[in-house]
Amino acid sequence: MHESDEVIEHVAMTLRRERVGVSADFDARVMERVREEARQAAGTGVWRWMTRSRTVRVSPLAGLALAAGLAGVVALAARQGDSFRTVAPSRTVAIAPPDVPAQRMTEFMFVNPSASRVAIVGDFNDWDEGVSPMRRMSDGVWAITIPLAPGRYHYTFVVDGTTWVADPAAPPLKDDFGPPNSVITVGEATT
Amino acid sequence: MTATAAPDAVLVRRVLDGDVESYAVLVVRYRSRYVRFATHMLGSAEDAEEALQDAFVRAYRSLARCEDPERFGSWLFRILVNRCRTAGARRGRRERTIVHDEIALRDAAEDHPEESVAWREEIGRALERLPTEQREAFLMKHVEDLSYEEISAATGVGVSALKMRVKRACDRLRDQLREVYSARE
Repeated sequence: MHESDEVIEHVAMTLRRERVGVSADFDARVMERVREEARQAAGTGVWRWMTRSRTVRVSPLAGLALAAGLAGVVALAARQGDSFRTVAPSRTVAIAPPDVPAQRMTEFMFVNPSASRVAIVGDFNDWDEGVSPMRRMSDGVWAITIPLAPGRYHYTFVVDGTTWVADPAAPPLKDDFGPPNSVITVGEATT
Repeated sequence: MTATAAPDAVLVRRVLDGDVESYAVLVVRYRSRYVRFATHMLGSAEDAEEALQDAFVRAYRSLARCEDPERFGSWLFRILVNRCRTAGARRGRRERTIVHDEIALRDAAEDHPEESVAWREEIGRALERLPTEQREAFLMKHVEDLSYEEISAATGVGVSALKMRVKRACDRLRDQLREVYSARE
């Protein structure tokens, strides 16, 4: 065996041999969280229906009135001309009860005329490309609007199910860990 | 069919039908298989457990969207890979201590006296110096023994790019470890 290959093989063998286990209470801790998830899902169906963020499309005039009435819970992301585009307040409104943090309707846009499909994956959808397919707009623009609670999210675009592309409009992610990711910080809704 | 022998798809179906406890079988089935990858990626047993635990919970939460329950393990691994990326990025510049579990090191040294703790530590340091995407590709290919197609499915990266990452990782590891490796003999 060539010496250089021998080094790599020995590295791999050392790492494969290593006994790496989990703590004795690992299973219990996971199942505790899973049961809690199950309880919440079972016990709050109606409440979740009432509190979930939803998009309401109304006429501009009615929208202005509604927006005024719901001051504080209207949340709109973003920067015009950037990847995150302002959504007109008269058209899209995020609704949440007073004690639930308002989600911000955040529109992501991505330009790729040659793609046949584009999805966005990120912390907000478990990096599952089946969850958030983007809509094809004109001129090769792909868009999707996602309600996001205040926080910091990593995300990336998946082109044709195979290629991960960081958002060219977002600042480069420092200390990126792995394939190209972008980051968006969603702030508290302005009241 | 006992729960422990049930295929993944059967267990996933039971969980989706409301039998939450069947999920424990999936946890037991995959936690030992995947904790090694997370530990090598994050360089910390504690961080690895957290990422793995998070992956299991997120997988449960999204279970209805698992399109191929027979391949639950691959789907879970994909979630774990992303949890590791997120955890690594979140950690930022915090110092990463790649070797980690003193008990594992001690056991490894006892089982294989030729594998000194010092050698393992050198490997840890060399891994840490790799760009994260190269470390990820190297570990999946050479330690987890996945095919390039499997790695591509887990990472969303094309096979050609993955081959390049693995090659570069191997080149860097050779450069960094050749001397130490020769000195061991």
